[in-house]
Amino acid sequence: MKLLDKAFRLLGSKGARYGVPAALLLAMTALPFFLDDYALHVLWNAMFYALLALGLNVIVGYCGLCDLGYAAKFAIGAYTTGILMKSFGWNFWLTLPMSILVAVITAVIIGAPTLKLRSDYLAIVTLGFAEIVRITARNLPITGSASGLNAIARPSLFGLRLTKISHWYYVFLVLVVIFVFISNRLRHSRFGRALAYIREDEDAAQAMGVDTTRYKLYAYMIGAVLGGVTGSFFAVTMTSISPGSFDFTQSANILLAVILGGMGKIPGVIAGAAFFAIFPEIFRDVPIVGNMRMLFFGLLLIVVMITRPQGFWPERKRG
Amino acid sequence: MALMQITDLTMRFSGIVAVERLTFDIEEGSITSLIGPNGAGKTSAFNCMTGFYKASSGEILFDGKSLIGLKPYKITRLGIVRTFQNVRLFKNLTVLENVMSGAHSVTRQSVFGALLRTPAQRREERGIRENAEYLLDYVGILNKKDELAKNLSYGDQRRAEWARALAAKPRLLLLDEPAAGLNREEKDRLIELIHKFRADFGVTVFLIDHDMDLVMKVSEKVIVINFGTKIAEGTPAQVQSDPLVVEAYLGVSEEEGGAL
Ligand SMILES: Nc1ncnc2c1ncn2[C@@H]1O[C@H](COP(=O)(O)OP(=O)(O)OP(=O)(O)O)[C@@H](O)[C@H]1O
Ligand SMILES: [Mg+2]
Repeated sequence: MKLLDKAFRLLGSKGARYGVPAALLLAMTALPFFLDDYALHVLWNAMFYALLALGLNVIVGYCGLCDLGYAAKFAIGAYTTGILMKSFGWNFWLTLPMSILVAVITAVIIGAPTLKLRSDYLAIVTLGFAEIVRITARNLPITGSASGLNAIARPSLFGLRLTKISHWYYVFLVLVVIFVFISNRLRHSRFGRALAYIREDEDAAQAMGVDTTRYKLYAYMIGAVLGGVTGSFFAVTMTSISPGSFDFTQSANILLAVILGGMGKIPGVIAGAAFFAIFPEIFRDVPIVGNMRMLFFGLLLIVVMITRPQGFWPERKRG
Repeated sequence: MALMQITDLTMRFSGIVAVERLTFDIEEGSITSLIGPNGAGKTSAFNCMTGFYKASSGEILFDGKSLIGLKPYKITRLGIVRTFQNVRLFKNLTVLENVMSGAHSVTRQSVFGALLRTPAQRREERGIRENAEYLLDYVGILNKKDELAKNLSYGDQRRAEWARALAAKPRLLLLDEPAAGLNREEKDRLIELIHKFRADFGVTVFLIDHDMDLVMKVSEKVIVINFGTKIAEGTPAQVQSDPLVVEAYLGVSEEEGGAL
């Protein structure tokens, strides 16, 4: 534990603030030259979870709202893109603005009536909404019913058709950089502080002039947009989507990644997501443990929550 | 015309009447106090004035404009800023971030400003930060600016809360028991500070307190309530010799530790 603390202190120092992310980014850029497709896929998956966790982090980590149905946000993005491409022959890149628009509209429909109430209502409503989305997708012909949408076309970027896992690895790496940039800018602004004030004490935030209902809705909309965009990219990477990819376990995993990573701290949230994606893979082939890896995973979660309820990422050093 | 005019303000909860037909004025530029025994309805009156409670009946006018039905954040934007009886800082944020919250109601930048970090946004951010630092220095805890609010001593938390309130550039500053939990020396400095607030920022101050000594030293007008109704109003000297006030305070003198 002491060693870990020391390592974290080092990570928190000034030079490390830019040095570590830069070094990590460099390493991530170089990795496809050394890894096989399977390993790349695992890392891609980790980045995919990192995007979702960063999106949910705006809602849960920054603003302190409880969203139990985040999978619905990326389902909506994925289906918007999937339907527009398959049924209407749209180019992938043109589906992105639509995906954002649909995310904003659904966020307003769910959030506007709910966020006026005490925060716990949002948990129930998002949980219910996620189920509605999943069941609707299972039953509509346009969403491909239970089998979902298949053979979604691969888009091109600057004339290159993005077919290999290494292509998508880089696309997602860029997305992670963009999401981190957005998260970081939001956090260090009047807007981001207002979200933190709401998270810490909603009444005091009101007393300081924050229109809490409106700001909660903004946070919810931003989270929904980030989730929707991630869903759109998910659809074209996987080329097939089905209701099974968006069940409650997904929502729970993303939420746990955010909580485990320490609510609102960007590196922690990313680490939490990576941990979720990579941990089960590492133990997949270990005998005995492999079969019980989810059990170990659960135990580990419990241990972390008991010993470090504030998440495993440390507080920023002050003073 | 008085800055704030309260007429027949009544706040009823199921069963109890916390405030009953309360009427008084707060003159612009004055330091006015509201006192009364425990449970007299002081905080309830405050909560009605700041929109946290919806008054059952009565009228509250600020600068001639009715505050009835306005949400707390709107009232803050009109220039009425409060502190809380049990200090309500944002515990897990730094002291500086806490004080910066005061600027929220008097600044503009939102989501796009944050993302694009325009020159206007950066200028505003700098202004917010510098003003917060100035106010932390003003209340004497600038050296604590990077500490988490929850790690401050009680007295320093109170100071941070005053700085936060001042950052909102209030016309009317409402302090709910600012002296509670402070020691003698800190109380003396508070008396000075309240006078300084008015002199330096031109605010009108309205405060609640139990501490008669403090109230008498600091205020020009005192309103005394008991069981939600006004029993006396006047200068500290007038109020202190009022038989009704003496009786109200003597009636609870054991719990109050002889507050009068
Ligand atoms: N939200 C509420 N719901 C029900 N009753 C309340 C509520 N707020 C206050 N009361 C009641 O109203 C009465 C007045 O309370 P209030 O807090 O306004 O008194 P106070 O004068 O501020 O007392 P203190 O000196 O202890 O702070 C009390 O009987 C209290 O229990
Ligand atoms: Mg009170």
